[in-house]
Amino acid sequence: MQTKADANPNPPGRRSLHDAGPSSGALLQLVGFHVGGEEFGLDILCVQEIIRLQHLTRVPNSPESLDGVMNLRGKIIPVIALRKRFGLEPAPPDKQNRIVVVEIKGTVLGLIVDSVSEVLRIPAGTVEPPPHLGKVKQEYVSGVGKLDDRLLILLDVDRLMAADDLNVSPALA
Amino acid sequence: MTDDLSQDPALIQEFLVESEELLQGMDQDMVALESSPHDAELLNRIFRAMHTIKGTSGFLGFDPVVRLSHRAEDVLNAVRRGEAQLDRPCMDALLVARDQLGNMLQDIRQGGLKQYQLDALLAELAEAQKPRVSPPIGELLVKDQIITPATLDALLAEQAAAPEPRKLGHLIVEKGLSTPVQVGDALARQKEIADSLSSSQTMRVDARKLDELINLVGELVLERNRLAQLSRDCSSGSLAVDELSSALGQSSARLSFITDELQSAGLKTRMVPIEMVFRRFPRLVRDVARNLQKDVQLVIRGEDTELDKTMVELIGDPMVHLVRNSLDHGIETPDAREQAGKPRQGTIRLEARQEGDQIVITISDDGAGISPERIGRKAIEKGLITTEQLRLLSPREILDFIFLPGFSTAEKTSDLSGRGVGMDVVRTNLKKLNGSTEIDSRPGLGTSVHLRLPLTLAILPVLMVRVADETYALPLRSVAETAQVNLQNVHRVEGCEVLCLRDETLPLIRLGQLFQSSPSLAAGASNSGAETGRKVVILGVAEKRAALLVDQLLGQESTVVKPLGNYLHGCPSLAGATISGDGRVRLVLDPAGLLAASQGTAPALGKVPA
Repeated sequence: MQTKADANPNPPGRRSLHDAGPSSGALLQLVGFHVGGEEFGLDILCVQEIIRLQHLTRVPNSPESLDGVMNLRGKIIPVIALRKRFGLEPAPPDKQNRIVVVEIKGTVLGLIVDSVSEVLRIPAGTVEPPPHLGKVKQEYVSGVGKLDDRLLILLDVDRLMAADDLNVSPALA
Repeated sequence: MTDDLSQDPALIQEFLVESEELLQGMDQDMVALESSPHDAELLNRIFRAMHTIKGTSGFLGFDPVVRLSHRAEDVLNAVRRGEAQLDRPCMDALLVARDQLGNMLQDIRQGGLKQYQLDALLAELAEAQKPRVSPPIGELLVKDQIITPATLDALLAEQAAAPEPRKLGHLIVEKGLSTPVQVGDALARQKEIADSLSSSQTMRVDARKLDELINLVGELVLERNRLAQLSRDCSSGSLAVDELSSALGQSSARLSFITDELQSAGLKTRMVPIEMVFRRFPRLVRDVARNLQKDVQLVIRGEDTELDKTMVELIGDPMVHLVRNSLDHGIETPDAREQAGKPRQGTIRLEARQEGDQIVITISDDGAGISPERIGRKAIEKGLITTEQLRLLSPREILDFIFLPGFSTAEKTSDLSGRGVGMDVVRTNLKKLNGSTEIDSRPGLGTSVHLRLPLTLAILPVLMVRVADETYALPLRSVAETAQVNLQNVHRVEGCEVLCLRDETLPLIRLGQLFQSSPSLAAGASNSGAETGRKVVILGVAEKRAALLVDQLLGQESTVVKPLGNYLHGCPSLAGATISGDGRVRLVLDPAGLLAASQGTAPALGKVPA
């Protein structure tokens, strides 16, 4: 998290993040968003950008939750509907819907969410292992964090991308 | 370097805090660097951090810190400038140095610097700074057990003592200790190692190609200026609408031309002679032939044919597999060959040539060939086809079964091949490159496998078509013609729809049936609207032809095709995707996949005799 140090609102002049929170030390910076009435968080370092819904081209005979592919400044990236991935009923498109573009180890993919809330900072120490959340979600959740009276479900994008039926590893350039 | 400063507790405290922070950041960065050793940004950050530590510790007179950080900084600088390799020993040395610096800072905090044994570490760092070279030829020959270490020593002594410099290779051959071929091989491998040590992210480009590029960019600049002028004139109101329209048209046409040329020239800079791939085969063939006790000569043609660098890297493995197949199953033993009336020495040919917009690489042998009967029998055994259906296939189509996963008719699997996992991978790899595979064989005479690759990785002329409410692109290369037909001419033969066109019977492909996930397509397929005046695109791949039913022909384009990735697994009929003029992603259909999917194991249909 060294790169975000400059944005730290804590004691000015101090470049280290290490004194922010209770004894555990580090502060997690997350992008918060809503899917199906629950709030989730994604490590800000994975989030490349957040864009409005765009035209998606359907890919025949592709996995269920792959909504399609889209053109992101000349690069064709797969877009996954998180609602579908979590086994929720599809909802009609809404002005608030956004595509969160994540990038991990060179793979770029888009996640459709109901709405995006804000960038959140929670002390790593307040993250607990996830309680039983239902089979589908369980795989992608790395923990649960608390911020004031909000419960944030922390998503593990690695596992999301590694999901068997998806197989979104990069092809040739 | 005055005593006063070095005793100032406030300064020392500040130094410690800052340096510890730098070391912490360095720790994280070094770990990241291990997985991306070419990240210039990371390298620079680490270098600057080390540089700062060196500077400030020097200011305060902390000599051991200075010495260590200085040496580490030198290594980092060398790596930054590409003079040294960031390999395992180098990385290790740097990490140890970082840790040691951390220890030193700790010691300063707790009272003062101690005495440190730095010689070993400093030596390691000095070593890491040197550029790696490939091993000397003598060593390579010893490793291959062509000469013994003792002999090497003797030769080196002789070489040193000689009045004129003699190359070690020559000495060895002179003394009959090895053959010119063996020495030549060792030299080739030495070069290979040297090549692989230099970054694979760089490549040599003929200066003329770069000149061409620069020229074209110049043209582009001129046209850009013209457009800018046009824009100014337009907003100042000094242009009439028809003038604007005409000028815009001209500019657009010119830009179109320049862009095409630029694209072509740009791609050409990435082309390298296929000789780079062919290079490894002489040795491979010799080694394997020797192991199998067969006598094989390798003939190479067209090694200066150029292809895209990425392809060069990916075509190697399939070729190796095919050559090994030839050696293993193709070429017979010298005795068997003699009995068959063939020369004892078998021949394997590697040939590359350009055919229109394709590069064709052929791997052929004059060995035992593959019997379509055997393949056919195996296919029936595996339940892939019925005896009835087999009768209708041409020998070439039967041989095509070899490319199916798990299909190996080798009687016993050997180390090299025969496990049935190879040929399908060859085909898949070729598909990834937008290429194709063909196999030709005559029992007793030999086998040829043709690998076809597009000349450039990316650009493809396509025919855009609309089916229901989706737009697709079809590679023009596989489009034989388009026609208007009457759907009343569609009949069912053995469960598949066929169209009678002139004197030909073609399978009819309805996309709606293939692409089940598209409800609009499915709807379009079942209630096809008009029966007459329907448009079809006749697709042709190798000998197979079929008719694809479409709703509208939208015209030709030259587009950049991008591969879609592994999540396409469910759909072999897609070759990739392209971005159309309106910014949307359009899927590119794969005619070969379409033909295969629509036919399944349907009977092959061809021309009905008039």
